[in-house]
Amino acid sequence: MELIYIPLILGLLSFLIPASLVRHYGLIGSLALLGIVIAHAATFDPATTHYVLNPNKVFPLGLTFKMGYDGLGLLMLLLTNITLPLILLSNYNRDLARNNVFHALVFFMLFGLNGIFLSLDGMLFYVFWELTLVPILLILFLYGDKNNNPVLFRFFLFTFAGSLAMLMSFFALGRLAGSFDYEALLAVELSPQIATLVMVGFLLAFAVKIPLFPLHSWQPGTYTSSPMAGTMLLSAIMLKMALFGMIKWMIPLCVEVKELTVWTIMILSVIGIVYGAIVAIRQNDIKVLFAYASLSHLGIITAGISVFNVESLFGVSVQMLNHSLLSVGMFLVADILEQRLKSKNLSDMGGIAKLAPSFGFWFAVITLASVSVPFTAGFIGEFIIIYEVFNFDISMGLLSASTLVFGAVFMLRAFQISMFGFPKIDSFKDLTINELAVFLLLGAMILLLGLFPQLLKDFMEPCLNNIVNSINAKPE
Amino acid sequence: MDSIIIIFLTAIIALFAGMSANPLRPLIISIIGLLAAAILFLFQGQYQSPFVKYNILNFGKDELRFSLLCIGLTLTILIAGFDKVRKQKSNAADIMSLLMFSLCGALILIGFSDLSMFFLGLEILSIPLYVLAGSNKENLSSAEAAVKYFFTGSFFTCFLLLGIAFIYGATGTFDLQVMQQLISEGVYSRALLLVGVFLIAASLLFKVGAVPFHFWGPDVYQGSPDNVTAFMASVVKIAMLFTFYKFFSTIFADLFSFWSGLVYIAIVLSLFIGYLGALKQQYYKRLVAYSSITHSAFALFALLNNQSAAAADLFIFTIGYGFSVVALITVSMAGLNEEDKISNLKGIGRKYPIVGMLFVFALLSLTGIPPFTGFFGKTLLFYNVFTAYPLLVLFGLISTAIGGYFYLNLIFTSFSSDATATTIRLKTTHQLVLLLCGFFILSGWLIMLLPA
Repeated sequence: MELIYIPLILGLLSFLIPASLVRHYGLIGSLALLGIVIAHAATFDPATTHYVLNPNKVFPLGLTFKMGYDGLGLLMLLLTNITLPLILLSNYNRDLARNNVFHALVFFMLFGLNGIFLSLDGMLFYVFWELTLVPILLILFLYGDKNNNPVLFRFFLFTFAGSLAMLMSFFALGRLAGSFDYEALLAVELSPQIATLVMVGFLLAFAVKIPLFPLHSWQPGTYTSSPMAGTMLLSAIMLKMALFGMIKWMIPLCVEVKELTVWTIMILSVIGIVYGAIVAIRQNDIKVLFAYASLSHLGIITAGISVFNVESLFGVSVQMLNHSLLSVGMFLVADILEQRLKSKNLSDMGGIAKLAPSFGFWFAVITLASVSVPFTAGFIGEFIIIYEVFNFDISMGLLSASTLVFGAVFMLRAFQISMFGFPKIDSFKDLTINELAVFLLLGAMILLLGLFPQLLKDFMEPCLNNIVNSINAKPE
Repeated sequence: MDSIIIIFLTAIIALFAGMSANPLRPLIISIIGLLAAAILFLFQGQYQSPFVKYNILNFGKDELRFSLLCIGLTLTILIAGFDKVRKQKSNAADIMSLLMFSLCGALILIGFSDLSMFFLGLEILSIPLYVLAGSNKENLSSAEAAVKYFFTGSFFTCFLLLGIAFIYGATGTFDLQVMQQLISEGVYSRALLLVGVFLIAASLLFKVGAVPFHFWGPDVYQGSPDNVTAFMASVVKIAMLFTFYKFFSTIFADLFSFWSGLVYIAIVLSLFIGYLGALKQQYYKRLVAYSSITHSAFALFALLNNQSAAAADLFIFTIGYGFSVVALITVSMAGLNEEDKISNLKGIGRKYPIVGMLFVFALLSLTGIPPFTGFFGKTLLFYNVFTAYPLLVLFGLISTAIGGYFYLNLIFTSFSSDATATTIRLKTTHQLVLLLCGFFILSGWLIMLLPA
């Protein structure tokens, strides 16, 4: 329970902290939360579901207030609570570091996120899902570009409409099950028509958030017009809740139409992989480039989800963690360039590696990690996923493997244009201490995960086995 | 019954207190009287009331809840409107008293168990409102609102009377319990009864402002003074919605197959016409009026739920709706002049962060975003009719998505950084009311978790 109410309390308290100290407060608070998650993880038995709240009673609206986590939930909690201190640390010398409201909103958002990963009740999941929308929207609105209202309208309406579609699906499931208890929802037998409709509802909500190919149009504009921390929160944390929703809610609950679900996600992902990469190659705005790169990278993850066996889900877990860390790194790089050059355009950059060698080195590390060279986490994750996609369907496998080439093209192109060549500027301030710390931590974690994926595997395997078995056990 | 008498006496005393030049006196008297009435309601089972034997009003659990809600809302509206009312020195007490007289009518409407009381309640509710709508005598549109409201209102009262006459003709009784029994036993003249039900449905749809009888709403809401608008949009609407529910879900429950189609069509039309009308509004109170049309439609979902007791769902919904609307109109009292332009709200949230935050709460609650009461009320109503009317729920959700657009627009306007013409006169009373509303918007839904 403390994972739910501590962020709320931290959020409320941050209004009382003096503005000059609030950045320390935010960092310490988020580290404390990370400590709590690690304490949970240390005492966790991977094969079970650990309930943190279980009133054993059905309230009006079919609410049961069941909360708890299994291995997957715990992984998501870890991912969220590891990424948040990194985001706040990257933000340490930005304008927002001295803003109480910003820190309060971040903690309110964390309240919603932890709630999503802990919910074992459909309506509760929906409530927390919507709860995260308001803080991020306010962060983007209050601290983003001045004229970004049309962008935010699009972002809000896309996500809100998607959520409402999901609510409709939950209504249908909850009415059939009698309550929103996760186990009860799993036990419902749907007719194929209803299962299809329910699946579409979920898919709309998740496809908007991730975003999957045809519903991604809110993404580039939102990323470019947001403050750095907002972009990071969106890309490193908020996307993951949709991926989690797919694994935990959408596919198990609509198992009756598993074939259809799997193929829909697979095809949309592969389109996203290729399309995102091709668009990214031609971009000159570095934030837009990273946004499309994100679309392409996420395509790999969703393709891995659609295979849905133990190995591919393990690959997905590694890749989710990797993507969160990389997003922080990539958008920190983008923001450093933007802050110091007052431009996001690649054509204004050049030769920075000479002026700021340390920054050049860490940008190279991030670039290499994102093109998945061996010894990085991306290598493990992408390799497993692509292998599994090949086994699933060879043409899909070939198309998704193109990311290895395309990814290298757009990332190395961005790196080369900005870092090498003739310097177009006189001076470029090298990394500050907090930025260096973020990069060091990121690099260490990516390397650790790349060298010892077994750490995660022991932790995840029993849970993934349970998830996959529960689906296969159910007659189609 | 005792509480209604207390409120009535309080209103009369407040009228006398208005003879002194200080408008604070009637306000304090009104507040004390309303609180006393609320306390009396809470303890109504504990003592022997002298009026019980007449069996014309009956306050069960649901009636009690709605009565307390109406009293609470009136209290907040009296406090919120005080700043404007005190400027009309000689009329200050009149306005407060009329609001309380109207509240008496609302309470009678909630508690009636006899058709004659129903009609009395409706008139006691309406007649002070006709006066109040025109109480801003310097403003032409206020006079227009009063005349419009009076003519349309009395026109539909005729329909209602005719309906009551038909029902009396069909069943031969005014007493609701007897009537319900007769209807369930089939002892009535079917043709007469159906005409009666149809006429009553039409006039009640008019009173809750649902399509196709919604045309009076935007003009009357816009023209009336702010506190009257708030009263009409919250207390009057909630009382009428509960009456509607009580009439159709209990007494006419056996005729469900007849009237459910009518209500269904009215709901679908209101869902879209209300929110689509609000999309392009330049004027704030007009926007509130249009959005309240759609909120009536959400509330009418309760009528179609003949499976479980929908009064509790309706109650949660009306808490969220009532307090949100009062909060919206309070912002209008503080931030807008007679011109009522939405663009004048620019930057109010940046200048007064707490007000801005509570304003956002109210808007999000109306949009239907958790964890606010509006979300839970709406979701309860939707969820409980889902099995019978899945398509209607889909329409409801689509309409909710449309509403998201203009509510978000209001949020962005209030926090806009280019504050242009902000003439904000934020008084302590406004802040107090907003805090009160914010509290109920945030925590009102917890009532649904209480054991029944």
